[in-house]
Amino acid sequence: MATPERSAETGNRPARPRRMAVWREQHAWCARASLQRLGTRPLGTLLTITVMGVALALPLTFWLLLGNVQRLGHSLGQDPAINVFMQPGTAQPVVEQTAASLRDRADVGSVRIKSPDDGMHELSSTQGFSQAFAALPDNPLPYVLVVTPRQGESEAATGQLVKVLKGMSQVDFVQDDGAWRQRLHAIVDLGQRGVGVLAVLLGLAALLVVGNSVRLDIQGRADEIAVLQLVGASRAFVRRPYLYAGLWYGLASGVLAVLVVLLLELTLAKPVAQLASSYAGGLPIQGLGWAELVWVPLAAAAMGWLGARLVSARMLRISI
Amino acid sequence: MASTADADAVIQFDQVSKRYATGQPALTELSFQVAPGEMVFVTGHSGAGKSTLLKMLALMERPTSGTVTLDGQNLAKVRAGGIASWRRKVGMVFQDQRLLNDRSVFHNVELPLVIAGMAPADRRKRVRAALEKVGLAAYEKQLPPTLSTGEQQRVGIARALVSKPPVVIADEPTGNLDPKLSVEIMAMFDAFQQVGTTVLIASHDLMLIKRMKKRVLVLDHGRLVDDVPGSEVV
Repeated sequence: MATPERSAETGNRPARPRRMAVWREQHAWCARASLQRLGTRPLGTLLTITVMGVALALPLTFWLLLGNVQRLGHSLGQDPAINVFMQPGTAQPVVEQTAASLRDRADVGSVRIKSPDDGMHELSSTQGFSQAFAALPDNPLPYVLVVTPRQGESEAATGQLVKVLKGMSQVDFVQDDGAWRQRLHAIVDLGQRGVGVLAVLLGLAALLVVGNSVRLDIQGRADEIAVLQLVGASRAFVRRPYLYAGLWYGLASGVLAVLVVLLLELTLAKPVAQLASSYAGGLPIQGLGWAELVWVPLAAAAMGWLGARLVSARMLRISI
Repeated sequence: MASTADADAVIQFDQVSKRYATGQPALTELSFQVAPGEMVFVTGHSGAGKSTLLKMLALMERPTSGTVTLDGQNLAKVRAGGIASWRRKVGMVFQDQRLLNDRSVFHNVELPLVIAGMAPADRRKRVRAALEKVGLAAYEKQLPPTLSTGEQQRVGIARALVSKPPVVIADEPTGNLDPKLSVEIMAMFDAFQQVGTTVLIASHDLMLIKRMKKRVLVLDHGRLVDDVPGSEVV
């Protein structure tokens, strides 16, 4: 065909290195275009991002809360120790003899004797009762045997051991830390599952919010899409700005969720630290780490992109 | 009836008929050829089939029977996945311009080049040259709604021609313009034809068509009733 200024850009495929450059340039163009579009309706964009951000901040907050409760549980003792309080006034030789007899048992891993002085020292240093104890004429605390069941013992066997300990003549009271820790773990486990379900549901809600925003955007830009198709834009090219819009929505809402959680951390850090110190000797609240600061926005961006992809795939078709 | 040898034709309609789902015929056994670098007007009353004819070249419509060939390619063989790249071979100008109103004049004209994958530096040169040709070099940063209808139409023409397509089709490009502006716009198409671009314009403005003295295809109820060479247009 004799067209003197016949150009290569009217449909011929560019060479491979140029194809990569074209891919990059077109993506950059679409990314900028989608940002500009979001900027043209700031209120709608802000509302979408806020709804998504709050939806993401909720499970993130619960996740952090559970993490801290878990840490609190761990800090109160890892091993399933049983505290055996001897009757007040039990003599040291009797205590040592009892400890020795317990060590001979096959279901006992170790026995540590905690003297009244040790107990007094521990209470004074960790709970801030030093002045109150100083005022006492003598030490009212009994000997305590810290009995650790043999490693690998079943819950039933430990329960049996507790029964035996409770039946011993010199024993006043048996405190099984393992039981409440198991309850705590059960509650945390339940909470984790709850947070998982909540995260999935709210993540789905965020996905739907992005999908709906992109759907409205596509409907509002039907004329523009028709123009793009008429000047030769491929379906991928037409779709790309909407995918980027989903990505920006997700990224911004992820950043917002992180900011909300950081703000909560900042607000709650002091009272939570005070509360924790009264139980566990000043366990600081653990907030978002560097990893979370990065992966939460990235995961939200991926979710936004996915929502936009699902919707745009259905709505955009080359008209013929 | 004027005709061009098949081997040389850039556009060829061979016994093309189009019947819509309602049974209404839009085109009936239409046959004609357009040579490379030729400028042809398609005219006829409203509903004569002018727009349907152009839509077939843009692959917006498919014939019910017959063959449409563009640049040697039977358009019936262009699959859905290839439509986009095929459309890049045809510059399109519309009566309502169809510009992106939230993008600048520059970005509107740049669009086909971005889609075609041209490097940014080359794009800038090409867009500025196109805007220069249509007399809008000073307007590149403006948004289309701030321009007059005639200026918007010129932006549409610059966009259609910026990628130097072998064929330009225009559907009533002067439909919304006053006679003076219409002549200016037609002069632009004429200039593009002079450098070898094939131009097919659907118009019902007989005064303007007569003034241009180009080949005219006359449609009536979807049939080609006359094919008048430019030399015989009076």
